[in-house]
Order: sequence, then C-alpha cells, then structure tokens
Amino acid sequence: MSTAARSTWLHDLVRKPFFWGVVAIIALLLLNVMKDPTYLAISVNPDNGNLVGNLVDILRASAPILMIAVGMSLVIATGGIDLSVGSVMAVSGAVAMVFMKDAGQSGSLGVALGAIGLALAVSAVLGVVNGVLVAYIGLQPFISTLIMMLAGRGIAKVITEGQNTSATNDPFRWLANGFVVGLPVVFLLALAIVGLVGLVVRRSALGLMIEAIGINPKASRMAGIRPSGLLLTVYVLSAVLAGIAGIMSVGTVMTVDVSRTGYQMELDAILAVVIGGTSLSGGKFSIGGAVVGALLIATLDKTVVFLGVSSSATPAFKAIVIVVLCLLQSDRVRGWFVQRRKPPKERPVPNAVAAREEVSA
Amino acid sequence: MTEALPIVEMRDISIEFPGVKALDGVDFRLFQGEVHALMGENGAGKSTLIKALTGVYRIDGGSIVVAGQERQFNGTADAQHAGISTVYQEVNLVTNLTIGENVMLGHEVRGTFGVNWKATHAAATEALARLGLGHLDTHKPLSTLSIAMQQLVAISRAMAIKAKVLILDEPTSSLDAAEVEGLFRVMRTLRDEGVAILFVSHFLDQVYAISDRITILRNGRYEGEYLARELDRHALISTMIGKDLNVLSSLGGNRRVEERDYAAEEPLLAAKGIGRRGSIEPTDLDIHPGEVVGFAGLLGSGRTELARLLYGADRLDEGSITLRGEHVDIKNPGDGLGRRIAFSTENRRDEGIIGDLTIRENMILAVQAERGWARPMSRKEQDEIVDRYVSALNVRPADPNRLIKNLSGGNQQKVLLGRWLATKPDLLILDEPTRGIDVGAKAEIQEAVARLAEDGVSVVFISSELEEVVRLSERIVVLKDHQKIGEIVNGPDVTAQQVVDVIAAHGVDAAARSGIIDAEDDAHPTASTDDGQLPELTEEHS
Amino acid sequence: MSVQRRFTKFLGLAAVGAISIGLAACSSGGGSAEAGDDDLTTVGFVAVGPEGAWREANEKNIQETFTKDAGFDLKYAPATNLDQKSQIDAFTSFVDEGVDVILLSATEASGWEDSLSRAQEAEIPVILLDRGIEPDDTSLYVTRIAPDNVEVAKEVGAWAVETFPDGGNYITLEGPAGVGVVNERNEGWDASVDGSKLVEVAAQTANWSAEEGKSVTETLLKANGNDIQLIFAQNDEMGLGAAQAVEEAGLKPGVDVKIATIDGTAAAMEALANGQLSYVHEYNPLFGETALDVVEKTLAGDSVESYIIVPSEAFDSPEAAQAVLADRKY
Repeated sequence: MSTAARSTWLHDLVRKPFFWGVVAIIALLLLNVMKDPTYLAISVNPDNGNLVGNLVDILRASAPILMIAVGMSLVIATGGIDLSVGSVMAVSGAVAMVFMKDAGQSGSLGVALGAIGLALAVSAVLGVVNGVLVAYIGLQPFISTLIMMLAGRGIAKVITEGQNTSATNDPFRWLANGFVVGLPVVFLLALAIVGLVGLVVRRSALGLMIEAIGINPKASRMAGIRPSGLLLTVYVLSAVLAGIAGIMSVGTVMTVDVSRTGYQMELDAILAVVIGGTSLSGGKFSIGGAVVGALLIATLDKTVVFLGVSSSATPAFKAIVIVVLCLLQSDRVRGWFVQRRKPPKERPVPNAVAAREEVSA
Repeated sequence: MTEALPIVEMRDISIEFPGVKALDGVDFRLFQGEVHALMGENGAGKSTLIKALTGVYRIDGGSIVVAGQERQFNGTADAQHAGISTVYQEVNLVTNLTIGENVMLGHEVRGTFGVNWKATHAAATEALARLGLGHLDTHKPLSTLSIAMQQLVAISRAMAIKAKVLILDEPTSSLDAAEVEGLFRVMRTLRDEGVAILFVSHFLDQVYAISDRITILRNGRYEGEYLARELDRHALISTMIGKDLNVLSSLGGNRRVEERDYAAEEPLLAAKGIGRRGSIEPTDLDIHPGEVVGFAGLLGSGRTELARLLYGADRLDEGSITLRGEHVDIKNPGDGLGRRIAFSTENRRDEGIIGDLTIRENMILAVQAERGWARPMSRKEQDEIVDRYVSALNVRPADPNRLIKNLSGGNQQKVLLGRWLATKPDLLILDEPTRGIDVGAKAEIQEAVARLAEDGVSVVFISSELEEVVRLSERIVVLKDHQKIGEIVNGPDVTAQQVVDVIAAHGVDAAARSGIIDAEDDAHPTASTDDGQLPELTEEHS
Repeated sequence: MSVQRRFTKFLGLAAVGAISIGLAACSSGGGSAEAGDDDLTTVGFVAVGPEGAWREANEKNIQETFTKDAGFDLKYAPATNLDQKSQIDAFTSFVDEGVDVILLSATEASGWEDSLSRAQEAEIPVILLDRGIEPDDTSLYVTRIAPDNVEVAKEVGAWAVETFPDGGNYITLEGPAGVGVVNERNEGWDASVDGSKLVEVAAQTANWSAEEGKSVTETLLKANGNDIQLIFAQNDEMGLGAAQAVEEAGLKPGVDVKIATIDGTAAAMEALANGQLSYVHEYNPLFGETALDVVEKTLAGDSVESYIIVPSEAFDSPEAAQAVLADRKY
C-alpha cells in the first residue's frame, strides 16, 4: 500500500502543470553554479543596502515577461492569442519617452506619472482595437493581433519620428532600476500586479467564464455567457499589461528603440504560458504556471550569457531547452515516465489510454 | 438460430480500474447470423465489454475466444484484421473525403501505379450495393450525406473489409424512425448472410424489433442471457435497473389533464408569426404558466429550431414575442436567461456541457453568467445550488468536484438540468433531455418535469420518443417540414399513434397537393392507416 | 451570410490600409512627380527605406543634396518592408523610364546581375550607395560609395591597443549573429587587437539594443567578478546600455571600464562628452556631397574609382565630442 501511495504522490507531482518548468529553472541554476560556485550568492551593497546578485538580476529581467505572460495566459485561455504584445510594449515605451522628453528635463514625479498614465491609456486603446476586431467584428485573434503587431511598430515609429528617443526622469527610472527594502522595485511591482490580476480573476467569476469560453464557446453562449464583453476585457487587459511591460523595459535604459523594444517578446510570452502548462487550444489556465514560465525564460536568457554560449549557438541552446521541456510535458512522454517507474508486472494505469497504446505499440 | 460454436466467446471477463471493478466475471457469446443486444444502464459496462473485445482495454481476468482461438487484440485495428469491426455512435469517418474513399480507406485497390481509383470506386459501389446503397455516387464528399446515411456508409466500410463480427454501439441515437428502419433492413440482410451483430441501444422498441438474443449487464456484472422473444419488457427493465417497476409505472400518472380556458387566461409567452429563414416558417405559439407543452415531430421538423428562437439561441427574422404581456426582443441566450427562460440543448456534448469544468462549475454557470463576472457567487451560494440539485436529481457520482466529461450521459444531463433549474426559470425548454440515457435517469428527469409544472413553471418538452411527449404534455404542438402543422390538447384518449397519424396525414396531403407521389413510403408504416382520430386538432397550415 | 459580412468588413479594413499606404507614398514621393523641366538631371534612387536612425540620416542627406536647386530631379523609391523584389521592380521601372542615373542601396547583396546588365544596355550609369553587391562585378556599376566597416573597426581596435598597452580584459557586444556588418566589424577589430595583450573574456550578441546591451553587460560583469576594463560595443545603443550596467555595478565608466562604440549618433556624442563613453567612431552616413560629385563626374564622362570610401571621424575625448555636438545631424 505504501508503494502505491508513493507512486500516486510522485504521479501527482509530475502531473502538476508547471512541475517541469520548476525543474528546468533549478537545472539551469545548477548549471551556472557548476561554472561558478558563487553564482547563487547574494550580497548586500554596503552603500545603499540593496541586494546584489545574479538571482536579483533574474528577478529584474523577468518582470516585463511576467506582465505579458499573465496577459497572454488569459487570452490563450479564451482560445485566442495576442501577437501584438511586443509591439504594444514599443508603443507604450515610445509614448512614455516622447512625453517625458517633451516635458523637458524637469524629472518630476508628476511628469513620470503623466507619462505612465498616457502610455497605459494608449496601450488600452490598442487593446480595445484588438478586442473589437476579435469580439465584435469576428476576425480570428491570430489575424487581428497580427495586424496590430505590424501596425504597432509603425505607430511607435510615428510617435518617435523614427528616432530612438531618450529622456531623463528619475522617478520613472527608479521604477525599473530602483530598490525597495533591498529588492528591485520592478520585480515587486510585477509580483503585485500578477497577484492583483490573479486575485481578480480567481475571486471574481472572470476566470471561470474565460475557461468556459475557451473550452466550449458554443456551450458557454448557450449557458448565457456573453462572450463579446469578456473577450474585449481580456484583450484590453493583455494590452495594458503589455503597456506596463513596455514601461519597465524602456525604463531600464531610459531609451525607447522602436525596432528593438519588445521585439519578439510575444514569442517569449507564448512560451512562458505553454511552459506553465496552459494549452494553446484554450480552456484551463494557470497564472502560477505563467509565472514559472516567465521566470524560466529570464533564467534561460541570463544563463546563456553567463555560461558564455556563443552568440550563434544561443538560439539553438534555448530551443533545445524548450523542446526538452515541452517533450517532458506531453502526456505521452509523461505516460512513459510514469510507466517506467512502475514495476513491470503491474498493470498500466487504466485512464492513461495514450500511455497504454504507447507501450503496446 | 444455429446453436453451433459461437464465433466470439468471452468468459469470466474482469477489468479493474483504480477503485472500480468495471467488469466482474462477465460472460458473453455471439453466434454467426444473429443480432445480439447488449443491454444495461449507463455505466453497466457495455462499452467496457466492447473495448475489452476489441482490445482497447486489456482484460485482467478471463478469456476471449474468437473463431475457436484464444485472442487478445491490441486495439480496434488489430481486431479488424481478425474480422471484428466496430461502428461507434459518433461516426468515425472523414467527412471531407468522398464516400468511396471512406468506404475503402486503407483498403484501396492497388494497381501498378499506386491506387487504382476506378477499381476502388467500383469496389466501394459494390460494398454499398450489398446494403442497398448502390445508388450513392461514390465520388461525392461524405459530408453531403445525412448522419444516418453516414452511419450506413460506416457499416459498408466495415463490411468492405469482410467483417465476420459487426459491433454497433448506439447506432440509432441520432436517427429518425425512417432511418432506423433503413438501418434495420441492412442489419437483417447482413445477419442473413451470416454476420454476427452486436447491437447496443437504449431504445427498447428497437431492441425488440431487431434482436434475437439479449445479454443484460448491471454494475459490471453479468445478469443473464435471454432469447429476445422469451423476455418481456417488464422483466428486461427490472433486470437492468435491479428493482421493480413501480417507479416507472407511476410515471404514467404524470399526465396532466387540466381544464384550461385558453382564451381567458393570459399566456406566459405569446409568439406571433415568429420565424427564421431556412429553419422555421412563421409560427404562432402560446405557452401558459405551469403548462407542459410538447413539441412533436421528426428530427429536422423544426421542433428544435422553434425552441431556439424562444430562447434567443438563434435570432428571429420575423414576428414578435410577448412575454408576461410585454413585448420583448431576445437577441441572444443571455437575454433569454435574463427573462427567466432556460433552454437545455439536444446537443449535450457540443452545446451543453463544458467538459473540462467540474460538476459544480457547470451547474452554477448559467446563474453566474446572468449575474455577470464581476459579482461572483460565494462558496456558500454555490454549495446551496450544487447540494440541492445533486441530491434532488440524484447525480452520480455525487462529488461536485469531478469533471463533468467523466460522467455518464444521463448524469451529465442531470447536471445540465440542475444548471437550468438553478436559474429559477419561468419557462424551461428541454430539447431531447432523455436521449441516450438509461431508464433510471430517464424516469428521474420525467419526474422532475412533472414536479416543475406543478410548481408553476412552464415547460416545453421536445423528444423523439412520442410516448414520452404524450405522457408528459398538456398540449402537443406538432411540427413537420419546418412548420407547425397542428396542436393537440392532450387527454386520456390521446396516444402516440395519433400524433404519428397527424404527421403522416399531413405529409400525404402535402405530397398529394404538390403532385409528388412518394412511392417508397414504407418508412412510415402508419401512413396508410389514415383513420386515426385527431382529437381537438386545429389544422393551421392546411 | 456571415461569410459575406466578414468579407465586406475585411474589404473595409483593406481599404483603410490602402489609404494609409497611399498617404505615406504621397508624403515621401509627391515632390518629384511634378517636375517637368528638361534641364533637370533625373536621378532614380532605389533606397532601403525605414530601417533605423543611421539609414534615415543617410537617405535624408541624399534627398537634401539632389535638389531641384542643384539641378536634379530625384525619384525616391524606398523598398517595402526591406524586400528586394520591390527594389528590383523600382530599378526596372527607372530603366524603362530612362532616368539619367540610378543610385542603389541594395537590401540584399546578391541577385542584381540581370538588373544591372539591363541598365548597362540602356546606358544608364548605376552608383551603389553604402551596400555592395555580390558577386562584386565592378564592370556592372560605376562605383560604390560607402564608409568602410572593416577600416572603422580597425581604428577602434588600434585605439584600444594604444589605450591599454599593458593589456586587460574586454568584452564584445555584437549585433545579431551572422549579419554582414557584424562580421566586418569583428574582422576589423580582430585585425588590430590580435597579438596585443588584450584578452576577450566574452563576446555576446545584444541585438543592437540598449536594453539588451545593459542586461548582457550586467551578467557578464558578474560572471567575471567585475574584472573587465574595456567594452567594445558594435553600435552606440548597446554601448549606452553597457554604460548604465557598469554604473549600476558600482563601477565608473571611463575610469574602471572604458567603452568604445561605432556609429556616432548624437546620443553617443553626448555620452562621450559627459564621460560615459570613452571612444566613439563615426560610421558616416552623410555622403550626399560625395555622391553628387560622382554623379556629375560620371555624366561628364570622367572616370571615377570603383570604390570610394567615405571618410569617418573618430572621437576619443569629451572635448572632441563637445565640439561637434551642437550641429550633429543624426
């Protein structure tokens, strides 16, 4: 009986959607420790009491990915996709930078707040466009947000007149680079926002309805759910979160680079969501999983640099890690995994039909 | 009946899932040239037994002997090689391939240069002709055929690979009476050619019409094998549900015959000339408070389409609806729900359940949708609804945190019924609520409908089983060919036969009027007996 | 019905798109259409179009040089989405129109032989701006005018070797792997630095971006215990990002870590002037005058060199940067 209990325990653990994401983060950190035993060390900067270390850097780098991954996980749960998040980041960053530049070098908190407010408002408008195209016009999410992905960079270029635009504003800069009680502001902010979104989604019925739409749109409609408003809400939320990510991103260097800010970040977001165990076909989603996914991507980016993987091999290295991860998450391979750990005499788990076919084949 | 060696003999079969004995020492024999019905409630183990035979599940005990040899298949493909073909309830064909390709898929006639399509289509035509389907153009896409014809094509496919055993798992659940008759004709032909047919169906009439022998399962156990002609219905049902028929027979008393003065009473809902192009002609309809209105008609007669208009599942093109004396515009299901109308779909899988959500979530969904997402229901409110309807409707398993997709069809239906009851509707529309579910669940649902009407809820009850409609309804709206052709006020003398007569008579009239003579009308055996009295029938579209 | 509805909606969207493209075309090319004077020299400019600050400065400079006042009618044809096919189409129509001279900034190096031969048959001289072609058949064009990446990077390397006679650890921030410019800048740098006492401890791509430049530098500093004296950033943006990472690591740019960059944008000049960068080598986009000179010579029948290198300046002190900062065009 005890072996059975242990095997279900193992089974449960392995079946957690983001289990392998956590394993991968640990493995990557270990890899770094093998190169440099002090990798995980965190010291205190004697001047200002801030924590310094590679882990702190990872947390900081993960903040913008966290934002867009959480938004993306909601969009994907409805059965859609938002390809425009990277471009929205660029637009939001461009709006903020141009606003602060035009406000002169006053560097006041008011200007920073104005820049943030305006950037988020513009992001929300882009989200509304996405949402209207998807929910009311009935275009496919892939197409609607692809249009916005292409248009977004154009809009950012118009806003900045094609120039990389820099500005100076200490409160704004502090958001991305500052520390509170020794921890980076940007990560605390990201955590707070993720927490807030998680709370709203799970405490209200938003999460349930999003999942219902994603699992079975027809049946959801027949159950009286009005999908249009929900879809609009989700796309606006995704765009606003992308706007925040854009602010975090340009804030680190106080420059917006219209062709590079947020470039291909939509792919990072999608990966983070998938790593977190949310199916691309919609339905059940896990915000915790998206957080794990975002942390993994940040860790992976930092690891590649830390290990000194050559630039040309970087994409391949990342791809291998992600492919292995996705393999480990697939039901079939997971079925194998569970299978191998059982005594050969024991009968296969009856509901894992896929696993059985795998074995008998 | 040949009492030679059985072609399939399963002995003492056991299959265990964690915590459950799905099959416990079941015996089953199948002879050549017989139709053998496998009966039992949902969850009795019928599907499991079929899957054990075809090797989808491995057996934990017992033996399977096919044509004298002990076998253990590795899945349907393997079983097919040994001559055992399965046709499932949901047709497993490729709808965008042609009919011929579907029949011959994987068995195409090969020539020197790949597939010889001409010969392949010829072989397909031949296989179809065996089932009396020789007239089909094998080059047309399968999707051009009705579901019923697709089912026959699936059987042709099974026969094209020279099956000795044909397994038909609920083949009739989406067919209308004429189509069922067509299927039975094919089954008889095959039986006479020596094919052994294993037949699973919930329709008792059909089982008696076609079967030679019946095996009954209950709770994964073997209850007995009987010759169909020696087993009466009473005994069959009692054996299946394991208790006597008091529950069921009491349902006969549910018919409500209430003297209503329809003219004087203000209807709950009054529809004037509502219609929608291509699905239902303009129709008038009144529904009174606490009334059970049956919609009777064949599949595709417009009964579902009419109901969808009332709920807002489809928008109406013309006409207007007055609800409680007020003109209303119902644009979508959300509007319908907000006006205390609920609609339980006939398409449980695609439009009813949200498979990956739990029983609890499925049950509260409509109430929550009506409130909007910003006002979530507290856990306590949820529990109240869930506890109440899980026990009132006897949902099994009673664990609200189970995913609904893992429930049997009947229990899914009960959860959905709970979902709609929780919205406290004034008008509840039930489209085929009892299809494909077992006798016990059926009785429970019928009982619930009768109780609702007593509590003042109006119910629209739609079912292919006319007996059921007649038993429950106060008034029966008869539909055919996308129009309402009449209304029958129910009474002690009204029988299902009379409803059939109305439908059939209208068809004959219509055909005669338009000069079409339907020579092959043996699908409606009652059409010729045109002497059915139509009590209080008001012809509307004559 | 819903298909039709969607289709009309899609048409609507397409119309909006077409209008906006039309507007863009008007604003960029409208000026050249009305030219009718026969004494103007018609110049077809097959350009790259929106790509970045450097390209913008470059193409703006060409447009501002070949003006009507100078006696030219410049037809500006930017590529759509950096697509070579749109460039070839523009090139062909210039040949058919019979312009006097064609200026070509090719988005891709290969695949130009046929087009260039056609121009040659029509006796239209072609001058390559910035980007070269492959195979480099000098008989097909008059000359190529461009700054030299290899040469520029060589000079940066020479400065580094001179500044660190006793050697030191350095890191390289590269553009995207495999891009021609990156290879050339690496080649030039290596030519100077190989054999010196400088040690490359890491070379990573930061994709031309300030943000990534900062992030990569931050990690590389930690990976090497801050023991880095020099950063070679292959463009200004990455260098500017690196400077912020150096500061945040508690080091002083220019003192503890020197940063050298290529391009010479105004932002970099500013950073050089206030000491965040230590060395900026211009990659000069302003060769309108040179091109004008070459065009006039060619039309007059004079011969020109087959490769004209645009001189680029190096700035190695705050003072030098300060001097040019006021009228920096890009």
